Amino acid sequence: MKKSFIIIMMLTLMLTLLLVGCGKKAAPAQKTDSVKPIKIALVTDVGGVNDQSFNQSAWEGLSRAQKDLGIKASYIESKQDADYMPNLETLYDSKNDLIWGIGFKMADRVLEAAKQNPNQKYAIIDFSYGDKTPSNVIGVLFKEQEASFLVGYIAGKMSKTGKIGFVGGMDVPVIHRFQYGFDAGVLYANPKAKIYEQYAESFTDAAKGKAIANQMYKNGADIVFHAAGGVGDGVIEAAKEKNLWAIGVDRDQSDLAPNNVLTSAMKRVDNAIYDVAKKMKNGEFDGGKTLTYGLKDGGVDIAPTTKKHVPQSILDEVSKIKADIISGKITTPSSKDAFNKWKKNYLK
Amino acid sequence: MLNNIALIIGVTLMYSTPLIFTALGGVVSEKSGVVNIGLEGMMVIGAFIAATVGYYSGNPWLAFLAGGLAGAFFGLLHAIASVSFSADQVVSGIAINFLGPGVALFLSRIFFNGATMTKSIDLDNKMPRLLNGIFHKDSFLYYILDNQYATTYIAFILVFVIWYILKKTVLGLRLKAVGEHPAAADTLGINVFKIRYLAVITSGFLAGLGGATLSISVVSNFRPTLVSGQGFIALAAMIFGKWKPVGAMLACLLFGLAQGLVVFLGQFQIQIPSQFLNMLPYILTLIVLVAFVGKSVAPLADGIPYEKEQKH
Amino acid sequence: MKKNKVIKFFTESNKAFTLISILLGFIIGGLILWFSGFNPFTAYAVIFKGIFSKPSYISYTIIRSTPLILTGLSVAFAFRTGLFNIGAEGQYIVGSAAAALAGYYIQLPAVLLIPLVILIAIISSGIWGAIAGLLKSKYGIHEVISTIMLNWIALYLQNYITKIKGFAKPNSEASKFIQDAANITFFDNWKHSDKGMAWLNNHHFAKEILRTPANFGIIIAILCALLVWIILNKTTLGYKLRAVGFNKEAARYAGINIEKYMIISMFISGSLAGLAGALHVMGVSHNITNLSAMEGYGFDGIAVALIGSNAAFGTIWSGFLFGALKYGGTKIQPFMGAPSEIISIMIGTIVFFISMPNIIKISLNKILLKNKKRGEDVK
Repeated sequence: MKKSFIIIMMLTLMLTLLLVGCGKKAAPAQKTDSVKPIKIALVTDVGGVNDQSFNQSAWEGLSRAQKDLGIKASYIESKQDADYMPNLETLYDSKNDLIWGIGFKMADRVLEAAKQNPNQKYAIIDFSYGDKTPSNVIGVLFKEQEASFLVGYIAGKMSKTGKIGFVGGMDVPVIHRFQYGFDAGVLYANPKAKIYEQYAESFTDAAKGKAIANQMYKNGADIVFHAAGGVGDGVIEAAKEKNLWAIGVDRDQSDLAPNNVLTSAMKRVDNAIYDVAKKMKNGEFDGGKTLTYGLKDGGVDIAPTTKKHVPQSILDEVSKIKADIISGKITTPSSKDAFNKWKKNYLK
Repeated sequence: MLNNIALIIGVTLMYSTPLIFTALGGVVSEKSGVVNIGLEGMMVIGAFIAATVGYYSGNPWLAFLAGGLAGAFFGLLHAIASVSFSADQVVSGIAINFLGPGVALFLSRIFFNGATMTKSIDLDNKMPRLLNGIFHKDSFLYYILDNQYATTYIAFILVFVIWYILKKTVLGLRLKAVGEHPAAADTLGINVFKIRYLAVITSGFLAGLGGATLSISVVSNFRPTLVSGQGFIALAAMIFGKWKPVGAMLACLLFGLAQGLVVFLGQFQIQIPSQFLNMLPYILTLIVLVAFVGKSVAPLADGIPYEKEQKH
Repeated sequence: MKKNKVIKFFTESNKAFTLISILLGFIIGGLILWFSGFNPFTAYAVIFKGIFSKPSYISYTIIRSTPLILTGLSVAFAFRTGLFNIGAEGQYIVGSAAAALAGYYIQLPAVLLIPLVILIAIISSGIWGAIAGLLKSKYGIHEVISTIMLNWIALYLQNYITKIKGFAKPNSEASKFIQDAANITFFDNWKHSDKGMAWLNNHHFAKEILRTPANFGIIIAILCALLVWIILNKTTLGYKLRAVGFNKEAARYAGINIEKYMIISMFISGSLAGLAGALHVMGVSHNITNLSAMEGYGFDGIAVALIGSNAAFGTIWSGFLFGALKYGGTKIQPFMGAPSEIISIMIGTIVFFISMPNIIKISLNKILLKNKKRGEDVK
């Protein structure tokens, strides 16, 4: 017992010495620039920085800001929800001028950190604290409903059967914005269209996404839109197999099935991040506010590959509707209640 | 209505195919007396390697095989630990569950330029869909068999093959002897180590095929959340099926059927909250176990390392 | 003589072997890093500094370790009584959901509320575990199947609970926060008040610690380890439980009602995992959120239990090791760009070697045997 204890101690000591010794060697000599660049960092949610979705988009925006604006960008990945708080702390310790939380799952943690460090600036994607936003925090929301409205309109026009599907991941507010914007767009194009809606209650189960999409196709749908993360891989796969249409989400998902992804409702997290960085460079910070990025400011859009499959006549109509949304002539609903009201106004 | 039933059956087949491969893997290993709780990790590495090889080579069979071999490699690790060094098999299985996803993501970053998601494979380069275009659209069989990949048929053939091997061949008898009474088998001149190595590596191979089925049949790319616990479901299915190939297959089908029902019922505006609806496969499994299946008994020497010097 | 003792130590001592396994895990992780172009020493230095170089880092390490110690104890307890509890994950979820509900709805002063919330969480998660025990003892259903199924049922159950009207926070996927009276984070209100902040600004060390959601959880976790040790080693209950785990038939022959003890064991195991969830809610997150995937506390708990040789105190150490790797591991990506998957690989390697405590003995025997043979050949 005694002996084992001594050996444990020795091993620990050796390891410690080894590490400390190396640690010293490893510390890089910091170059001191005359002008300190602005440092911006982000905490990804559990998807990680290469999730082919909004985390990746966020990092692309920050990298672009690094290239164009000369800010200093970095990121830290979360593996579990429990990582958010310590990761925010790690970035606080490395003295960043602005720390981003990517995704609404971090909402409560970013708020706590902001209260604790009133001199540190924070920003969060996909969440608004409303009136209670602290002065050192920016909330960033996207008008997913606007891009969804446009892809919905395309679907409504392109559908031969007049039946269209929507597959949601989980029943949460962000997904509702996609869903009801899409529904409104479909009905705006074709008031008689039938929309099938189903939630997978998962963001990971691709087989379930495929099954749900297959069922919709069987019921006569010829276009299915998904806002369902990994579940959407299955939706697009079903479209591929049946040679029908799927509509992608968050980024241009055309690469997953070039012949079957009709269009995608893109959420340009990168543009929002870049925009905030640019403002910071100019000494502006909209603390205490919620910034909302929509079609107008390039925060959402339809995929550039849309023109591959959609005829020019429909694209022209889409551009007109886009202008009308931007000018406020057409409103787009972001929740169930708003959708019901919208129906009363637009569909008489 | 008939077509709805056909669709549910189709979903059942799609859902259960990867589980059947993996559960068969579990059966083979545990029949030889080695617990394999690492099925999940083997599935993940199989899914990743298959998607990668499929993307780069364009050959689905090569990809499928590579997925299996990747699983087999982790099976080999499990065998080295549990057979040669008489490891605690649960522990080394758990290790595989950490290593599989860890290695898969690590390699993915190397092969796909930092991404943890592989690039999509073209439909033509996926597994062939054997009976496509044969049935009239809207016929009963169309909804069951259209767009079912070769993997589905292979899974059922393998159930038969493994059943046959276990039941009718000398190898099968030896395998079972090793799993029930290794010492006795040893005295009869059966090489316990060799049989167990063979079984555990085969088990990894099958689990790898299960993972490959997910990434090159169900969808056409790998992402870290693709497997999400299906290896454990397969493990449960194997025990559910009382460590028998046909039983395990039936358990997988039951589970797939329940998922098919969830999808089917989910399209109606029913009053059940969708969270409860989605519990259905898991609750149904427990109910069927309680009502119809009951006690399951593992092979006698399952989980017990065999050491030659050991005296019984 | 002395040499033999050293060999004996390394071949027969569990602790030494665990240490060697950990070292091997680090070496292999280091080699992989090296092959992929990263300096392993820098990586370990980053991890080491990321854990120890500041009081707040140490505090975070402890916070991350607390639930792992408890789920580890949960799995270890079941193992010791002959059951394999893969369901710690689900029991953790049930415990955290129960604590969040009780902490939000029940109005009582803190002295009463905190124990009550913990009690409710322990009982509900204990029952969740006992279901598996009951299914096994009454219907012979293997606990591996039932606990895997119960994990998923628990996940969907929590997702339903976070959506209950009045409990759900509007426009969010999280529930509302528990009341202050159920909060076990150290001085949570005071440290955010003006007075508290003023005091903390003059007390650097305390400020560093209180920056983190440091809470009573770790103390409770260690007390639980002590309790588990006492139950298993010093009570008749523990004796009977272990007897059932050691040899069911012998236990039955000795007149022990093994059905009853299976249920008790799963109840205790479940409540330990549930306590982990409850303490996380009460001390760290203060609410629950919609789960899109398993968080992994239960599965990590299996590894923690195994690294700790299923012993009560071993689990504390392995929980700390695991928590430290998980927390420190997040830092190698931002500070040197190395993929953080290396942590899973390292943990896997450690567990892999730990699974074979005989590897050294067997290898030594083989080498000795070969040498002997060679010697004989020469003769």
